[in-house]
Amino acid sequence: MDQLSWIVGGIALAVLIAWYLSYGAARLDRLHARVEGALSTLDAQLVRRAEATLELANSGLLDAASAMILAGAASDSLEAGTDTESQTSREAIESDLTQALELALGEEALRHLREDGIVGAPVLARVAAANQRVQLSRRFLNDAVTDVRRVRRKPGVRLFRLAGHAELPQTFEIDDELPMLGRGA
Amino acid sequence: MRVGIVSPYSFDVPGGVQLHVRDLAEHLICLGHHVSVLAPADEDTPLPHYVVSSGRAVPVRYNGSVARLSFGPRTAARVGRWVEGGRFDLVHLHEPVTPSVSVLALWAVEGPIVATFHTSNLRSRAMQAAYPLLRPSLEKISARIAVSEDARRTVTTHLGGDAVVIPNGVFVERFASAAHRPDWVGTPMRPTIAFLGRMEEPRKGMPVLAQALPQIVRETPGVRVLIAGPGDCGPVRERMTAEAAAACEFLGPVSDQDKASLLASVDVYLAPNTGGESFGIILIEAMSARATVLASDLPAFSRVLQGGIAGELFRNEDPVDLARAVAALLRDPIRREQLAAAGRERANVFDWSVVAADVMAVYETVTQGASSVRASSEPDSMWARLLRSGRSSGGM
Repeated sequence: MDQLSWIVGGIALAVLIAWYLSYGAARLDRLHARVEGALSTLDAQLVRRAEATLELANSGLLDAASAMILAGAASDSLEAGTDTESQTSREAIESDLTQALELALGEEALRHLREDGIVGAPVLARVAAANQRVQLSRRFLNDAVTDVRRVRRKPGVRLFRLAGHAELPQTFEIDDELPMLGRGA
Repeated sequence: MRVGIVSPYSFDVPGGVQLHVRDLAEHLICLGHHVSVLAPADEDTPLPHYVVSSGRAVPVRYNGSVARLSFGPRTAARVGRWVEGGRFDLVHLHEPVTPSVSVLALWAVEGPIVATFHTSNLRSRAMQAAYPLLRPSLEKISARIAVSEDARRTVTTHLGGDAVVIPNGVFVERFASAAHRPDWVGTPMRPTIAFLGRMEEPRKGMPVLAQALPQIVRETPGVRVLIAGPGDCGPVRERMTAEAAAACEFLGPVSDQDKASLLASVDVYLAPNTGGESFGIILIEAMSARATVLASDLPAFSRVLQGGIAGELFRNEDPVDLARAVAALLRDPIRREQLAAAGRERANVFDWSVVAADVMAVYETVTQGASSVRASSEPDSMWARLLRSGRSSGGM
């Protein structure tokens, strides 16, 4: 009798642990999928921003020096997108692109672009929209990363290695503020 | 895009969140998207064609005011059916931590989720107690939107992580084109003030107005206070002095059209709310209608009114300051005109055309991420993915 209840108790405990582990694994898997999705979106948005910047540089509406700086920063970013470089250097390259945009889009250049309704204004709107989407996807990625890191710090998750061999994701930190473009598209 | 939107509050009674949901849905439908809204509603409530009822709502005291919420196993089953049948690209939940349809949908949805936080006082006791239970499902949310800086701060301090600020939208043109009603337009001898909101809800500020009224009437004897909104005016009237009660005209609940006309007609629109407001959509509606706004200096209101440029502010819960501000405004038509013009200009920032473009940008960001994950992981099951080693989720 006593033995039987021990066995039943043991089985119940095993079931409970198994449930906890599979639940934890499913939760973590969902979080990793979220990070993966957010990361690929951010990657796509960064590429789109660089393309829009290149378009702006080639519009012929900026002075030659600004256009060269922009084109250089944009093509650096496009190259970084295809390479599998470390995240830190990508962050630096994207921050540089933001800075280049900030420098090139001074008050006078902005006015000049906005006056040209056929090429200037639409291309500027595309850069603004692309940058807004970079900001959004970066924020969503960082939220997802924060969630993953918090769950992976849990002792149960660490002890049973529920994360498997998945790398610990990093937040993506760049300067993406372009206040002179105003709000979005 | 197929979008499912969930409102936790009943459509039987108008409210900020419900109106936001309705306007967003209508604007998205205009843009050519497929939209279905899930919300609690009584069976006999007439609903727009895009709204699906999750069942009857019951009044519950929650978060400091009475909310009409819907829950229970029957509701949960209905929510599940709606989620399954909708085949949504994305589900947009409003107030996901309210114990109503939103939280049920949060459990049921497997696809991408966007959540909008409206309140600035999230940390209710219920929320604290249920937090460990909620945490894993809150992790399903891919993108968080806050309607104001205050709402965002609440999200970041209590839930961790961040949220994008996208303000509530207003169809500015609807209010801007509202007709004046002669019997609501003030004259120099009989100026008019408007108050809108449920009377028995103290947070809407009726008690503050009632306390300030005797002084307002003393300084401007001909003043008419037009009070619109649901609720029993009997107890409110009883608590006032005879002169104050005589100045009040109770209009009862008004239609959207009448609300716009009221805002457009009166000399001053008054918002003495004492708290619980994270945004104050009504202020923007009033500004769109070119009303002169006088509001309590809640942080949210102050931000909408740009610290007093687009409307006047008085010290929150201070009837003396309220009376002083009313008297000053009624005496100064030039100042009123100035504030009304600045307010009308400010309102444009909150027009749905601007706001919906921002919401759409969030939707696109989220669905793009979800579809790229689905494309790369469709063939293998969760277990296969778990067991496979070295799946990278880090570097790019």
